[in-house]
Amino acid sequence: MNAFYLFLAVLIPCVGGVLNPLIPWKKRSHMLIYLETLVVVNSILVWVLLLNRPEEIFTLVHFTGNLAIAFQLDGLGTVFAGLISFLWPLATLYSFEYMTKEKHEKTFFMFYTVTYGVTLGISLADNFLTMYCFYELLTLVTLPLVMHTLTREAILASRKYLYYSIGGAAFAFIGMIFLLTYGESPDFILGGVMSTATLAEGKNTFLLIYVFSFFGFGVKAAICPLNSWLPQAGVAPTPVTALLHAVAVVKSGAFAIMRLTFYCFGVDFLRGTWAQYLLMGVVMFTIVYGCSMAVKETHLKRRLAYSTISNLSYILFGVVLMTPLGLVGALSHMIFHAFMKICSFFCAGAIMHQTERHYIHQLDGFARKMPKVFAIFTVSALALMGVPGLCGFISKWNLVSAAIESQNPMAYFGIGALLLSALLTAIYMLTIVIRAYFPEKDFNYDTIADVKDPNWMMLLPLTVFAVMIVVFGLCSMPVTELLTAVAAGSF
Amino acid sequence: MEKLFLILILFPLAGAIAVMAADQKASADAGQKSIWNNVRDIAAMLTGVAEFALMCILAFSGMGSELYVPGVCGMGLRFCLDGFRMVYGLVAAFMWMMTLLFSREYLSHEEHLGRYYFFQLVTLAATLGVFLSSDLFTTFVFFEVMSFTSYVWVVQEETKGAIKAAETYLAVAVIGGMVLLMGLFLLYNTLGTLEMSKLLPAASACEEKGLLYIAGCCTLVGFGAKAGAFPLHIWLPKAHPVAPAPASALLSGILTKAGIFGVLAVSCNIFLWDKSWGLLIFSIGLCTMFGGALLAVCSIDLKRTLACSSMSQIGFILIGIGMQGILGEENALAVRGTLLHMVNHSLIKLALFMIAGVVVMNLHKLNLNEIRGFGRKKPFLNICFLAGALGISGIPLMNGYVSKTLLHESIVEGIEISAALSGFLKMSEWIFLISGGMTLAYMTKLYIAVFIEENPDKKEQARFEQMKGYMSPLSAFAIGGSAVILPLLGVVPGLLSDRIADLGQSFMHLEGEVHGVSYFSLTNLKGGFISIGIGILLYVGIRKLMMTKKDGVLEYKNCWPKWLDVEELLYRPLLLRILPFLARVVCRILDSLTEGVILFLRKTIYRERNIPHELAEGTEFTHVAGAALDFLRRIKRKILRQPEPEHEISYEHKLAMQREKIMETNAIIQRSLSFGLLLFYVGLVFTLIYLLYLGQG
Repeated sequence: MNAFYLFLAVLIPCVGGVLNPLIPWKKRSHMLIYLETLVVVNSILVWVLLLNRPEEIFTLVHFTGNLAIAFQLDGLGTVFAGLISFLWPLATLYSFEYMTKEKHEKTFFMFYTVTYGVTLGISLADNFLTMYCFYELLTLVTLPLVMHTLTREAILASRKYLYYSIGGAAFAFIGMIFLLTYGESPDFILGGVMSTATLAEGKNTFLLIYVFSFFGFGVKAAICPLNSWLPQAGVAPTPVTALLHAVAVVKSGAFAIMRLTFYCFGVDFLRGTWAQYLLMGVVMFTIVYGCSMAVKETHLKRRLAYSTISNLSYILFGVVLMTPLGLVGALSHMIFHAFMKICSFFCAGAIMHQTERHYIHQLDGFARKMPKVFAIFTVSALALMGVPGLCGFISKWNLVSAAIESQNPMAYFGIGALLLSALLTAIYMLTIVIRAYFPEKDFNYDTIADVKDPNWMMLLPLTVFAVMIVVFGLCSMPVTELLTAVAAGSF
Repeated sequence: MEKLFLILILFPLAGAIAVMAADQKASADAGQKSIWNNVRDIAAMLTGVAEFALMCILAFSGMGSELYVPGVCGMGLRFCLDGFRMVYGLVAAFMWMMTLLFSREYLSHEEHLGRYYFFQLVTLAATLGVFLSSDLFTTFVFFEVMSFTSYVWVVQEETKGAIKAAETYLAVAVIGGMVLLMGLFLLYNTLGTLEMSKLLPAASACEEKGLLYIAGCCTLVGFGAKAGAFPLHIWLPKAHPVAPAPASALLSGILTKAGIFGVLAVSCNIFLWDKSWGLLIFSIGLCTMFGGALLAVCSIDLKRTLACSSMSQIGFILIGIGMQGILGEENALAVRGTLLHMVNHSLIKLALFMIAGVVVMNLHKLNLNEIRGFGRKKPFLNICFLAGALGISGIPLMNGYVSKTLLHESIVEGIEISAALSGFLKMSEWIFLISGGMTLAYMTKLYIAVFIEENPDKKEQARFEQMKGYMSPLSAFAIGGSAVILPLLGVVPGLLSDRIADLGQSFMHLEGEVHGVSYFSLTNLKGGFISIGIGILLYVGIRKLMMTKKDGVLEYKNCWPKWLDVEELLYRPLLLRILPFLARVVCRILDSLTEGVILFLRKTIYRERNIPHELAEGTEFTHVAGAALDFLRRIKRKILRQPEPEHEISYEHKLAMQREKIMETNAIIQRSLSFGLLLFYVGLVFTLIYLLYLGQG
């Protein structure tokens, strides 16, 4: 297919989203139909593109020298674009119902849809400059979403989000300058863009720059100690927290780090250096840290946010192993975690939407009143813990096999961290499940008489996610094979 | 035939879903007498019976068959059927069938019967998966599923105690599972395979023995926790009293054996004939056996006694596994003893827990003082209980005697063979015999309390004795069917027990014909009788020490060592206080790091300018000048003798206001375009003057 369609896929949601507040909708349902059609059409376009991959590069603007805004579709981009284009229509459907209780819908949906295009931009970017531009743009378009409720808390959170993101992007910018100056090619190339001679000359400088940019992008991927914006950003409406703060935004960070590590600096250069050990240490710590904080947290969404912090570092742990198998592990966890976390977040959102309850101790006995939501929540909780038969187990297994295979002495500690975190995950997820299913014997169900399952617009996405979790858990072979091909550069 | 493996596992799942669907219908009808209630119960029972039939078909026609399902759960699943798996598959399916038959009456007044059946059937599938797996990965997958689904059994009653016990159960299961997974990763890393048939050659070729031991210990923790081995036995005495009786029977009879299966798979493949490994397991077994027996003697709760007894019997089995390693290649006695004791214990506990279930079903009490005399004039229950009690105590002619004799003989053999360990083993032999005695003592205590003694409350006793229809024929069939096997296994050991041992021994790499043991020879009987003697003495001791007189009636004293709860004493404080505290300190510090830096910078370099406060009126000049003018005016008035007017504005204030006005006007002027133009022209004029000056110069 013509590479121009890549740009089109980025453009449609952006333009369509901006148009939304300008059109004078007569009825709410018209707007919803418009939005859903827009998103679905775009997702179909993306999937058609994924299946008939354009080989060439589409250059939108060529500034000067090697500076250009260009799009292309390679293996890594395929995975990320496929993931978000699958999730977006479902999340949009869910948000229709959720947003009935919130104000300023039009602007909300404008930014929500634009974010889709921007995230696709990141995944389809051909070079560092393009990715960087969209990355910055992502911060800006998601900011109003975090601020949406306009409460004092929301404004504080969005301010924090802005400071952290812009600060991080500044560090990433340093990396970009170096890459554009010393790189042989502006495009992403699996294995790195800099020649060995250049790298050998200023080894430690380059490593330092790498670490800088890693932390820069790491802000969005919420690595410790740059994570505190994420739990706070949970004040945003749940569709935002679920899709953006569990998938699109944070995984853009992880995705950018993959690009940086595997496609810019090259793992052959980085493997075995102090930079790798340093980052491994940070990532491993974040894994345990996120879980421990989640155990402590009593606010449902914030607990899930802390869990996201920990799980994002699983992905980064795969990345910093700096082997193809590590990338397979990282990518599989990126995909599977997206399903598990969006599923659990949507359940949390459904609970909040239906009952206005935000804290875990308020959830006693809910399972009997919301059987469907809690059945699905249980599936996602078990998957997050890594119970065999569900998808979380597969990605953890991949990650640990990669760690063992890497022969890196520090990776063994990583395995320990993963297992410890699995244990903590069990604690913080199962306490919710147990509370909901088994309140004490004399629990008075009249106190929660108002609680009931939400309507189909919420349940459909949830069911799809739960089914995907199980399907991926039982037959993960096609996915793993695809990812192996991506990591080997043969896809 | 290979497909049967899958059917065996999928069929109970299908049954579970059907039962759930029927339960939905039943609860939709809301009436207690809904037809769907019956449909649900019968569907569950039929699933159990059909599963047993399927297992029989597989057992008698599919010997040696294997199945590999690639791709599922990442690594693919492997199953096979050998003698040992056949025996245990049959035992498991049999136990499930019996407990399902028994459940109907036991749980008929329960609220969540559908849920109970659902998880019962799912656990059945998972447990069969464990016992038929031929690959440690497959074992693990089903083992985890089994752990989670059986959690619902423990929490079934939803009382405070049940929730707490279930919490403990889940915690042990999850932690055990994680450590087990860690061990499997290490094994996979060092050996490159997890297939049981390939483990032995891989392990013997492996150079890194140290790593293997670490991996082995990890798996031991995981499997041992489920088996109820010391010091991870904590869930056993808690979970059993609160779980429904049929679930207790399964928990103690078969779920613990799933753990043992794992321990066996590791020790017979990776550490085959390994002395130090054997010694480790032997020591754990010794502690578990003695500790369990001691706890059982102290307990006066019917089901808890049985639970502690399970723990103790698991200790006997572990001792057998340990002896297999210590004895090396000459371990026939230990192998057969282990195997038979597993089977015996499963079947005995099945019967005993169901009988305890009958007690609970009728009285809803478990305390020996309260249920005293319940069994009088109930000959059927009495005989069944006696069969179990005598079996577990190792009385000759009962099944427990056979396996305990084998285990005892294996220790004796160990004393003869290994000179280095003979002292330790001699001591262990005595502990073994004493534990056997204790088994007899606590079983006698239970038997006498429930079936011989009369309840001190005469009315209560009369009520007990007049109870008709205290259980349904179906329950009676379940109990009777389970109990009748016990003496059969014991009376003619050559016919049944030896056959079972012959079937199963190849799993533990014991090949060839084994010469028959004459179980009833004098030497073998001697050990048994020593135990019985000790048991009788101990029971006399119990009656002397553990019973107090209250209102002229002998009462059982609760000697349960509450303070000796390892969970409360060690695990809970460690896991819930000390470790989180340390983690929290570190987290707090790191959490505030970034914020701290930002705050620090804001307080120092990036400090905002002070927000300008409300300007004080006037300036120094207006104050001084105003004050001076005011002073002058006062002097003038004094000189001219003018009166002071009432409301007079001071010059100080006037001047300040004037200044304010000027400043404001200034500001307006400065901001205005004309002022800008004015300045521009002023500039222009100056430039012109300068140019003119230059021109002149």
